[in-house]
Amino acid sequence: MSSLPLETSDGGGRYPGFSTLAQAGHWDRATAAVVESRLGMPPDVRFFTPQEEAAARALLDLLLGQQGEPRVPVVNMVDARLAEEQTDGWHYDNMPRDGEAWRATLAALDSEARSRAGCTFARLDPNQQAGLLQDICNLDRELWHGLPADRVWSLWTRYACTAFYSHPLAWDEIGFGGPAYPRGYKNLGVDRLEPFEVRDVRPGADPTHGADR
Amino acid sequence: MNRVRERNESAWLLPKGPGSNLRLREDMRRYGETDEVDMVIVGCGAGGSTLLQRLARAGWRAVALDAGPFWEPERDWVSDEAGSHHLYWTEPRVISGTDPVPLGSNNSGRGVGGSMVHFAGYTPRFHPSDFRTFSTDGVGADWPLDYADLRPYYEDVEAELPVAGEHWPWGDPHGYPHRPHPVSGNGELFLRGANACGVTAKVGPVAIANGRFGNRPHCIYRGFCLQGCKVNAKASPLITHVPDALAHGAEIRPDSMATRICFDEHSGLATGVEYVQGGVTRFQRARMVAVAGYSIETPRLLLNCTSPRFPDGMCNDFDQVGRYLMVQGAPQTAGRFQAEVRMWKAPPPEVSTEDFYETDPTKPYKRGFSIQCVSPLPITWAEHVAAQGHWGPTLRRYMSDYPHWACLGALCEFLPLEENRVTLADETDRHGIPVARFSYSQCDNDRQLMSAAQQVMEKILTAAGAEEVITINRYAHLVGGARMAATQEDGVVDRNCRSFAVPNLLVTDGSVLPTQGSANPALTIMALAARAARVLVQGARRGAPMSAKED
Repeated sequence: MSSLPLETSDGGGRYPGFSTLAQAGHWDRATAAVVESRLGMPPDVRFFTPQEEAAARALLDLLLGQQGEPRVPVVNMVDARLAEEQTDGWHYDNMPRDGEAWRATLAALDSEARSRAGCTFARLDPNQQAGLLQDICNLDRELWHGLPADRVWSLWTRYACTAFYSHPLAWDEIGFGGPAYPRGYKNLGVDRLEPFEVRDVRPGADPTHGADR
Repeated sequence: MNRVRERNESAWLLPKGPGSNLRLREDMRRYGETDEVDMVIVGCGAGGSTLLQRLARAGWRAVALDAGPFWEPERDWVSDEAGSHHLYWTEPRVISGTDPVPLGSNNSGRGVGGSMVHFAGYTPRFHPSDFRTFSTDGVGADWPLDYADLRPYYEDVEAELPVAGEHWPWGDPHGYPHRPHPVSGNGELFLRGANACGVTAKVGPVAIANGRFGNRPHCIYRGFCLQGCKVNAKASPLITHVPDALAHGAEIRPDSMATRICFDEHSGLATGVEYVQGGVTRFQRARMVAVAGYSIETPRLLLNCTSPRFPDGMCNDFDQVGRYLMVQGAPQTAGRFQAEVRMWKAPPPEVSTEDFYETDPTKPYKRGFSIQCVSPLPITWAEHVAAQGHWGPTLRRYMSDYPHWACLGALCEFLPLEENRVTLADETDRHGIPVARFSYSQCDNDRQLMSAAQQVMEKILTAAGAEEVITINRYAHLVGGARMAATQEDGVVDRNCRSFAVPNLLVTDGSVLPTQGSANPALTIMALAARAARVLVQGARRGAPMSAKED
C-alpha cells in the first residue's frame, strides 16, 4: 500500500520513506493480528441505512480531510463499532446512546442540507458541506436539531479520530512508530531517534503558526 | 527484597520473562457453592485483589468474583490503542449534572487486575494534610484515620509493586525501593522547564520495577502502559497480588457479574453473593462479604440490593450511598518544540511535582493540584487537537507535527460534594438491573484549581522552550461514593472499611475515600485494603461478624 494523499501544505511528506508496516516483523502476534486486520477488506456496512451511510461517508471524509484514494475506510470502521455496540457504554442524559445518536444526527444533517439547498448532505457541494459543518462546530453548547451541538461534535470527532488514527497509513504521516512490543525503545530523550525512526524534514512547520501554508 | 518475598511471592510465581503462570490458575482451589467460605469479594482490582491475597495468606477461605476475564496478557493485550477497548468497563451508564464526567475508558476497569491493568503507573502517597482537610482548610472532610495509620501499609505495598522514584520531598518525605527510571524527551522537558521557573520536579513515583523483580523483567520503555503491560514490568494486581493469593488457596471466578448481596433479615447479616456466570445465576455462601467494584458499580450494587430492612438500598439508612463521589480535574497542556520530543516513547508516567499540592494562603482557592507527565498516543492526541476545534485538513496538519509536542497533565483536588453522586437510572443492563446514573457538577473552587493548574503547566512548558501551548480539560480517576466516616450519619463504612449497617459487609475499594488529594488513588486503595485485611485477620478469633469496630 502506498501513502495516504496529503498535500505538503497540509503536513504531507514530513517523514519520507517511513513506514510502520515495514516494522511488522518486530511485532508480537496478538498485536500484528489486530493491526493487520485493518488493512484487509473492510467489513460491509450493516448498521447504517443507505441514506445514513451516504451522510456518514461525506461527514467522516470531511472531518478527516480524506479527499482521494487510497483512504482509510472510516465509514466501515465506525459502522462496525456501532453494529457490535463497541461503545464506551455511557451516554449524556440529554443525548441518546451512541448508535441512536448517530442515526439522529445523520438524519439531522440531511434535513439541514435540505432546508439550505434542497438536497441531502451527501449531494451538497464540498464547500457547502464544509460550511454547514463549521456552523455546527461554532454552535458550541447551543442546541442543534434538539441536541447539544458540542456533544454532537464530540461524538462525531471521537469516532472519526479513533478509526483514522488506528490505521498504519495514518501513523506514517505523523511519524508515529506504531506497536513497540517486544522490541521497545532504547534511545530516550529529546531529539534522540531509533535507527528505524525517520526525522521530520520540515521541523519548522509549526501548525499553530500556519507556517506551512 | 527477600522480606517482600516472604510475605508476597507473586513476582517469583510468574514465569521468567513475560507471560502468566497458567498452571497456578488450573490448579486453583475451587469451593462449592454450598460451602460457606470466610469471605467473598466482589471485584478483583486494586482493593479486591489486595484483600484477597492478604486473607488467603492468613488462611482464610476466600473467593473473589470479577465481571471480566482472567487476562492472559500475551494473548489478550496488544501494543495498540484502538485494540485495547476491551480493557474498559463499557456497560451502559447515564451521565448528567452541569459538568458530566465521561466514563468507560481511563476511569474504568474490567477483568482480573481492574483498572490498574491500564493505569499509567503513578503511585504517589497521599499527604498527611489529606486526612484532615475539613479541620485545617474548612473544605472536604476529615478521615476517621490518620496518615500514620496508613504509613506502614504504604511502605508494604510500595515494596510489593515495587515503586521506583527519587527521594520524595513532599508530604511525609520518604524514599522508594527502586531507583528512578531514565526519562524520555517528555520527562526531560518537564525537568528542564520546572528547573527554569523554580518548581521542584522529581522522577517518579511509578509502579514499574527498575531492574528485574522476582521473575518480572525490566521495562522496555515501549510506551504502551495504558494498553496493559505485556512485559510484566508495570504493576497490576494480576501480577502483584493474584499469583500469591492463588498459591495460598484463594479462588477467583472471572466472567462473574455480581447481581445481589444476599441478606438475612433475622440476623441482620449478609449471607453471600448472587452472581451470573455464563447466563446462569449462582450463589456463593459466605461468612463475610467485601464489595470492591469501584466508585460507580459499588454504590450501584448497594442501591440495587433492596429488602424490607433496606428499602432504599443496602447500607443506605442515612442516604449516604453513592454520595460524595469525586473525580480529579485533569487538564492537559501540550507545548510545541522545534526539537523532536516523540512523547510516545517510554512509559507515560515519568516526572511529577507536588509543589502545589496543599492550600496556598496567598491564593483564593483551597487545596491544590499536582502535575505529571502524560504522553498521549495518536488517538488520544487527535482528541486533544480536535478539542481545539480543528478538523479536516487543519487536523491532519496538526497531527503531522506530533513528534514536536510534549504534554503535561494536572490532577486537581476536586472537593467532595453531597450532590455529586450515583443513583439508579430507569435504563437497565442486559441482566435487567437498573444502571448507574452519575451526576457531576463542579464548584467554584474546582474551576479555580483547573485554571491555576493550566497556568502553571503553560509556564513550565514555556520555560522549557515551547513555542505554543494548547490545553484541553478532562477528568481522571474516581473515588468516593461509599465513604468512610466516624459516624454512620456521615458515611457508609468505618475506618476499617466495615459498613455501619451490616457488620459482616465491607467496602474495600476507592469508594471509601472521603477526600482525594491530588494523588493518583491506586496506592492508597491498596493500602486501605491491606489495612482492612490486617484488622480482619487480627480480629478473626473473636468471631469477626459481631466484633466491635475498634481496631
